[in-house]
Amino acid sequence: MSCAQAAMHDQAADPLLTLRARPRRIALLGNANVGKSVLFGRLTGQYAVVSNYPGTTVSVTKGRLMIGGEVCELVDTPGITALEGALSEDELVARRILDRGEADVVVQVSDARNLRRALMLTSQLASAGRPMVLVLNMADEARAHGTVIDAAGLSARLRVPVVETVATEGRGLAELRAAIGRAAVPAFDEAHRGDHVRLAHDLAVQYRRHRPRSAARVQEHLGRWVREPLTGLPILAFVLYGMYLAVGVFGAQTLVGLLEGGLFEQVVNPGATALVNRVVPWPIARDFLVGEYGLVTMGLTYAIAIVLPVVATFFLVFGFLEDSGYIPRLAIFSDRIFRTMGLNGKAVLPMVLGLGCDTMATMTTRILGTPKERLIAVLLLALGIPCSAQLATILGILGGVSFLALVTLFGVVLLQMFLVGFLAARAIAGERSEFIMELPPLRWPQMGNIVRKTLLRVRWYLGEAVPLFLVGTALLFTLSRLGWMTALTAASEPVVAGLLGLPRDAAEVFVMGFLRRDYGAAGLFQMAKAGALDGVQAVVALTVMTLFVPCVANFLMMVKEQGLKAALGILGIVTVIALGTGAALNAVLRGFHVAF
Amino acid sequence: MSPSEKTRRLSNLGPGVSGRVVRVTRENPDRADRLTALGVTPGATVTVLQRFPGVVFLCDHTELAVEPAVARAIVVDID
Repeated sequence: MSCAQAAMHDQAADPLLTLRARPRRIALLGNANVGKSVLFGRLTGQYAVVSNYPGTTVSVTKGRLMIGGEVCELVDTPGITALEGALSEDELVARRILDRGEADVVVQVSDARNLRRALMLTSQLASAGRPMVLVLNMADEARAHGTVIDAAGLSARLRVPVVETVATEGRGLAELRAAIGRAAVPAFDEAHRGDHVRLAHDLAVQYRRHRPRSAARVQEHLGRWVREPLTGLPILAFVLYGMYLAVGVFGAQTLVGLLEGGLFEQVVNPGATALVNRVVPWPIARDFLVGEYGLVTMGLTYAIAIVLPVVATFFLVFGFLEDSGYIPRLAIFSDRIFRTMGLNGKAVLPMVLGLGCDTMATMTTRILGTPKERLIAVLLLALGIPCSAQLATILGILGGVSFLALVTLFGVVLLQMFLVGFLAARAIAGERSEFIMELPPLRWPQMGNIVRKTLLRVRWYLGEAVPLFLVGTALLFTLSRLGWMTALTAASEPVVAGLLGLPRDAAEVFVMGFLRRDYGAAGLFQMAKAGALDGVQAVVALTVMTLFVPCVANFLMMVKEQGLKAALGILGIVTVIALGTGAALNAVLRGFHVAF
Repeated sequence: MSPSEKTRRLSNLGPGVSGRVVRVTRENPDRADRLTALGVTPGATVTVLQRFPGVVFLCDHTELAVEPAVARAIVVDID
């Protein structure tokens, strides 16, 4: 039966329904990290960000899917563990889709290795009374683990189509499309009604066989090395060092050198200046485009030549780590520390994601269990986690100063995060949730997915950050034209020069930093390159910049997730802490005559 | 062996020991529900992989990491 026929069938049951007033809606539902987004991408040809850990999809994504000759709407949803009992925000979203009849067909995607868990959800889905298909994804990995499922038998018993797929390779998709047309409401024996656990257990025992396992030996060893402290911590150090080499040395030094020192200083900026001087008769407009605060000479140079190379290399390396399944394993090591901060090990996910982009990570705090945890995580992200763009400039500047400078910066920031987390855990009302976390399988990542994800993120960066860089540059230009920059510099001198011991000009960098931390950091990068900052000044300036709220976009996301009051509170607290820490650090470093 | 010798808390098992889940204590219903949803239900096979710095165990083919308090709530019959 095609989608169209399915619609007709539905129409018979509900005569008021007009024939396809809207496209048939198919919802992908299922446990976290089972491959819903991969399947979504395969079926719609539309890319949704895919990673090897739960919680990558934080909102509902829609796309178009062709079945037979008919266009249907496919909905990708965040992963869920249950549809009954105490539900998380994501589970409420799924529940609503079912209850409001927003899905004509439900495709339950499951991990073939975890049949029991999948069936518990199937049993709960059954009560929604929607026609459904059960997809046993990752069938190849299940087989490698020695799990064989009698899909035909299970299908006959549940009376819904059961399809085995390997979504990452596109296997089983034709069967799935065909099966969607045959979707049916599952039928369960009366004896089992309501007892999801027993039903799932009995069915799993009946339709699943274990054979001697053929593979996965290497995976097991690797899994053990990564999670045991004796081997895991050296591996972590190695991973961090590898990231430093890739992002800090190759990205921030080699690539930035080529783009900024080579392309922009030698070709783009002189070329643009020559062109503008010839074509544009008004000096003020010339200045606006190619002057000291010129859109091209400052805005584009910062965005494209300094920040972009680092962001791109970071996302490439980060994508590899994401897809390998390594990042969630860090939760095992960090659980104890996070617990003293009112969180649990799971918080490592938004924190590490924040190294990519704090704005996206702020959205990911939804995976945390309680409102208290979410608030603390949003605060810590805003306070201490430098995003990739900013990390880039930090590594670029301090890499040239000394290793000790880097250690000082990160040491101070981490200590500050710990202190604030410790206090917040005690000051904020509410509970933390217990640490219970599923570890995704370790895998060798697919290069295609990493490249696609990186391109998508770079495009997002270009769309999100570059306009702000240009706005920031225009703002600086206006301030300087109106003579306000001098006033601002003078007004902030007691703080910038007095408390923080920085050159007076650093004030303008902090104005930029209010728009985007990385933009401010790029300004510091230029100052450092011009020799305007000594080692201590570089460390102090970057520490303050790191502790600031990341950018306007992040602030707006905080408002969206936590409300205006909490967001303003966080902004105030973070700004005070940033300046206070900078002042203290400056006093200590000067007092002990530290020179980096 | 008498049943009491075979029945232990998951938190007391050493790495490599496996068994079947008998029950999850319900003094914290939210915890029990979350474990159930993850497949830690009576009859499920579990194998302890690691105890420090956190308890990691295998349940079917799912690797789960939990804090000690959670491991104490899982009652297991060892093989």
